[in-house]
Amino acid sequence: MKHFKHLATIGVTSLLLLLAACASTPPPTDSIALAKSAIANATSAGGNEFAAVEMRSAQEKMDMANRAMTKQDYDQAKTYAVEAQADARLAEKKAQSAKAEKAAAATQEDIRVLREEINRKSPK
Amino acid sequence: MNNIKRLATAITAATLLVACSSTPPINAGLEQARNDYRSAQSNPQVTSLAAGELKQAGDSLELANTASNRGDRVATVDHLAYVAKQQVAIAQATANQKAAELAVTNSAAERDKVRLDARTREADSATRSAEAATLNAQVSQRSAEAARDQAMLEKQAAANALQSADVARQQALDAENRSRQLEAMLLDMQAKKTPRGMVITLGDVLFDTNQANLKAGGMRSVQKLAEFFKQYPGRKVMIEGFTDSVGNDANNQTLSEARAASVRSALIDMGVGVDRIATRGYGENSPVASNDNAQGRQLNRRVEIVLSDDNGNILPR
Repeated sequence: MKHFKHLATIGVTSLLLLLAACASTPPPTDSIALAKSAIANATSAGGNEFAAVEMRSAQEKMDMANRAMTKQDYDQAKTYAVEAQADARLAEKKAQSAKAEKAAAATQEDIRVLREEINRKSPK
Repeated sequence: MNNIKRLATAITAATLLVACSSTPPINAGLEQARNDYRSAQSNPQVTSLAAGELKQAGDSLELANTASNRGDRVATVDHLAYVAKQQVAIAQATANQKAAELAVTNSAAERDKVRLDARTREADSATRSAEAATLNAQVSQRSAEAARDQAMLEKQAAANALQSADVARQQALDAENRSRQLEAMLLDMQAKKTPRGMVITLGDVLFDTNQANLKAGGMRSVQKLAEFFKQYPGRKVMIEGFTDSVGNDANNQTLSEARAASVRSALIDMGVGVDRIATRGYGENSPVASNDNAQGRQLNRRVEIVLSDDNGNILPR
């Protein structure tokens, strides 16, 4: 009988532990780190200048992820971190795309000016 | 009361029907993500330049679809749909960036080509200018040479003209001298101007009385005449003898001819060519004064020497 009681205690404990494990996600340190690095990359790519909306969104979600971390709400933290990373990457790409378009336009303008100069110089 | 019961039944049935339908509730965010993805898929720029990013977006969208079909919490589906939507946007931005970078590369190549063309054209133009300058220089040099030649010709012409003028002046001077000399000689020989030309008269006193012989004074006159012939080789003379009306005509004719011949032979003795001298006797014809007195008769006894012009012509009497 005593034996049975022990077994029951172990069973209930295991069940509780299992339940706890299933309910609480582990701290999403990877997602947080990836989001931070994506925001840093986007900032250095000029995201604040070229993709202000995405940058602000990424920044706000990063803040919320951090707050969720301190509250140990890891599910929320991961959700915010993943969205922050996506926003930051979009900001980075938008900035790079805008810069490349600027460069393309500048080169086209160079060509136009050059042609104009040549036409002015060349005898009729 | 029955009505209320019937309505309640209907509502219950409707609720049941909704609950039983297997289609998951419509999620606006997921719809948005699907639409974005479809539009990205139909954009060849995205499929060719951002294939990796588009694949990632597709995988994320699949996760969201699965979660939606599984009937996951709305928040979870929203989250996954949002991430998928952002990844579609990332794929689009990546495609834009790559296209712009390609454009920069192509434009740079085009710009370099334009520059090269411009430089080539400048170089060509410089070469053409140099050639034109060389040509100009050659033309200028040729002009300068022509001008120099012309100047030399003109100088030569001026020198020639000067020389011609000198010659002409010399000739004029010579002609003047000659004419003055001629005048002096004619004056010395007491030549007189008549319609037939210059005529020199040898008077009766220069001959022996009733004879044809020239006296010393006559010889001096003939000497001067011979000198004149030497100076003017083109001239000829007609020597004409005349007498007064005393005595018979035949004697007078003979004497006039003999006196003319006497002058002629004296001139020939002095070296004058035979062909330059003609003679004629006119007897008592063509008197120049009256035969009624001694003075007149002496004037009529004479020999007239008619000088030709420069070409040897003498007008006949």
